[in-house]
Amino acid sequence: MTIAAPRLEDTKLGPKAGGLYRHQSFFVALPFGIFTAFIGWLVSHALLQNSNWGSDMVVTVTFVSWVIGFNAGIGTFNAPFRWLRGKDQTHDDHLYAAGVGQGWKRYWKYCTDHKVVGTQYLVLVMTLFFVGGTLAMMIRTQLITPHSQFLSPQTYNAIVTVHGMVMIIATIIMVSGPFANFILPIMLGAKDMAFPRLNAMSLWVVVSAVPPILSTFVLGGTDSGWTTYAPLSVQSPPAQDAFSITIITFVVSVTVAGINTIVTTFTMRTKGMSMSRLPIFVWGSIVAAAVGLYAMPAFLMAHSALITDRVVGTSFYAPAQGGAGWLYENVFWIMGHPEVYVILLPAVGAILEVASTFSRKPLFGYKVMIGGIIGVGVLSIMVWAHHMFTTGWAPSLADPFMLTTELISIPTGIIFLCIIGTIWRGSIWTKLPMYFLYLFLWNFIIGGVTGIYLSDVPADQYFHGNMFVTAHFHYTLLGGAMIGATGAVCYWFPKMTGRMLNERVGKWAFWFIAIGIQITYYGQFWEGFEGMPRRVANYAPLFETANQVSTTGAYILMTGWLILLYNIIHSWHKGEIASANPWHAKSLEWHTLTPVPLENFLVDPVVTSDPYGYGEPGSVPGAPAPEPAVVGASSNQGGSH
Amino acid sequence: MPSDHDHKREEIAEEVAPLFEGGPIWRRPAAKIFVIWAIMTAIGVVIGVMLPVHIFPKMVSPQGKDALDTVVFFTVLAAPVAAFVYAIGLYSLLAWRKMSGKSDTPPPDGPPHRGSGLAEALWVGASVVLVIVLLIWGMGFLASETAPQNNVVQVNVTGQQWFWTYSYPGTGVTSNKLVLPVNREIQFNITSMDVTHGFWPVELGDQIDANPGFITHITVEPNQLGNFDVRCSQLCGLYHAYMYSHGQVVTSSQFATWLQDQGASVSSVTSYALGKN
Repeated sequence: MTIAAPRLEDTKLGPKAGGLYRHQSFFVALPFGIFTAFIGWLVSHALLQNSNWGSDMVVTVTFVSWVIGFNAGIGTFNAPFRWLRGKDQTHDDHLYAAGVGQGWKRYWKYCTDHKVVGTQYLVLVMTLFFVGGTLAMMIRTQLITPHSQFLSPQTYNAIVTVHGMVMIIATIIMVSGPFANFILPIMLGAKDMAFPRLNAMSLWVVVSAVPPILSTFVLGGTDSGWTTYAPLSVQSPPAQDAFSITIITFVVSVTVAGINTIVTTFTMRTKGMSMSRLPIFVWGSIVAAAVGLYAMPAFLMAHSALITDRVVGTSFYAPAQGGAGWLYENVFWIMGHPEVYVILLPAVGAILEVASTFSRKPLFGYKVMIGGIIGVGVLSIMVWAHHMFTTGWAPSLADPFMLTTELISIPTGIIFLCIIGTIWRGSIWTKLPMYFLYLFLWNFIIGGVTGIYLSDVPADQYFHGNMFVTAHFHYTLLGGAMIGATGAVCYWFPKMTGRMLNERVGKWAFWFIAIGIQITYYGQFWEGFEGMPRRVANYAPLFETANQVSTTGAYILMTGWLILLYNIIHSWHKGEIASANPWHAKSLEWHTLTPVPLENFLVDPVVTSDPYGYGEPGSVPGAPAPEPAVVGASSNQGGSH
Repeated sequence: MPSDHDHKREEIAEEVAPLFEGGPIWRRPAAKIFVIWAIMTAIGVVIGVMLPVHIFPKMVSPQGKDALDTVVFFTVLAAPVAAFVYAIGLYSLLAWRKMSGKSDTPPPDGPPHRGSGLAEALWVGASVVLVIVLLIWGMGFLASETAPQNNVVQVNVTGQQWFWTYSYPGTGVTSNKLVLPVNREIQFNITSMDVTHGFWPVELGDQIDANPGFITHITVEPNQLGNFDVRCSQLCGLYHAYMYSHGQVVTSSQFATWLQDQGASVSSVTSYALGKN
């Protein structure tokens, strides 16, 4: 199909379009951030080194300077400062910021195009998984024998802490970053996110949050796990300050991104895209974003109070001065339990899209599933104290928190109903994303059932702080959410990169991952049954066999992820060119060109039904549109643009 | 309206009927799904009943037995539910897989069924029933934890980086080994001198954190003679992995002798063992 009108991305911009943005990129921001960090270090070192909390103060000031400097260097503050000076940006400036005329260089810049941001997030997430996975392999290697000397206890604790936090950051953004940015606006028929500059900001702020947490290894190492329970974390080396700066910075990013996702969904939907026609992935994303907006500020508060305890001597968590570790634990878990659903729900949304597309059937129980997602979201804010059954805090609340925790299995169970109802008598098309759907189904049941054991107080009194818990949440977060996200990568890869992911290599990766997960975490359930505590660098010989099983599984799992990583990189460069709609799916993102043009649609689409009308007689192209024809979400004419 | 009602019934019949069609009864889809489900349920139940008992350490108190029983009961309860999902998943691959994944064009669309009120109601109803069963189970255990009697044996537990200290109030005995009399109710009063630790006497099947600035309590009643381990269940810094000590459940007379060996006077041991301090 030829297109007569010039594309927006082919606009010739004036020589000064973009202003300061012209000179900014990651390669400018990095040295500039290091420079401001150095200035911060110099000043704080000169003024504060000899005060009571000298080295903590210096680390804090240095990393705050880094975050501000890096973001100034990349361009986060450009637009607000122009407004302060009474100038607004011109149309050319906006187009420049959206990446027009910069080719691949826009991927290194503060780019407001949601598709660039989504791609940047995908690369960032894979990088973080690589870091977190490497640390995980070091942990499993240490645990291969009872008295291993591979890592010192100090290094081991630092690695356990950073592995946990890097993985939590990566999983929170693994779907809401790449897909809620790249795919969600196209699904809605929108031109971009509601706040494109905040979108770019959310990415670069989280990028600036990464160096502080990695620096903890050279700042004495954090030793209190990703939960950083006070008062231990108050007494930790200055690495803890860097860790807390990472958290605070990360929360800013997640909050901004969450608001953006919600506002985009409520205000940017194209004609005919009513809330009852939203793809289920959008529902998963906005409910997760809303839950995140409730939960994440608690994370910020927990760590703000922690850092002031450390740096200026407040006593929020110091029992001798009226504080309490329980305060930290409560605020932390008020974030911590909703947070697992912030991770899970978008991945569930994505895997449900896969279920419908590859069963060639409408999503089963769409409205019940929306109810389930909202139910999970609401209940998730009322279950936090099940993490504290054995802390001694408020024993009388054991019953009510056991109740809310077990209640959440009702809306969670609807996910299974929806999946098996969708594949029920469907025309199962076993492409790669569908493999990950079946793996999700297998793992998430195991993760869910073992979660019910832990919700029961008598069982929790044995399993708390025990490897059983580790195995349980890896089954849900890795086996469930991350496998769902991997399915999402396989599903949307052709749209995001314009190339097909190699199926044959992908299936090799799949089998290593699928088997690796089972062996690794069955090993850890076994350790837990035997009574092995979590987060130990060495252990009693009686746990040796179970640990060796788990470590063996971990190496198999690592092999699978490396094959998948190779597959993604290789297919991205050299894969077969993808058509616009290789899966013959019905949601809007498959009904625009690949690669997706700037502002997504050449003509605004009009939607006449939800995207699940497989096999329905009314499933015909949507409202007529002028040339070039862009069709509604209910179209049957896949991939012919 | 009857027509609506009839339409619904027709729809359900259309969905369900094919499951019961085709050849002898064991060749029909419903029978095959049932067989897969029954086999998987049986495997789950056997694993649940056999495996944890073998892997768990030998518990020396009723609380430890409660944890083990909970694992067995919940596994048996979960097996048919998980097996149901797995059976349909597996059967979908065996019977409804229309085309190899190698094809680049999708198979023809499946039946356009968007849901079934009956299935949804049954599913949610079944989950509610299961949750109620789980709750009754858990709450029953919590309710059975009675308030301590007045002849309870008190033991003060102090955690610090990275060891446990046990003191037996009134006797002047302080030890790094936890020795307990059998068949007596024992109340632990637990605190920490520095950071949060997790006091976890593994084979007693109970645990609670040791928090600086607060005293927490758990009550157990060991009913078997034997050894047990005390581990720290809360990451507490550098040598967390090495924070463990050994414990032993002994007879009352052995307990009194042990206290005297540790330097307690006879009278203090007598009044302590009666729970009168």
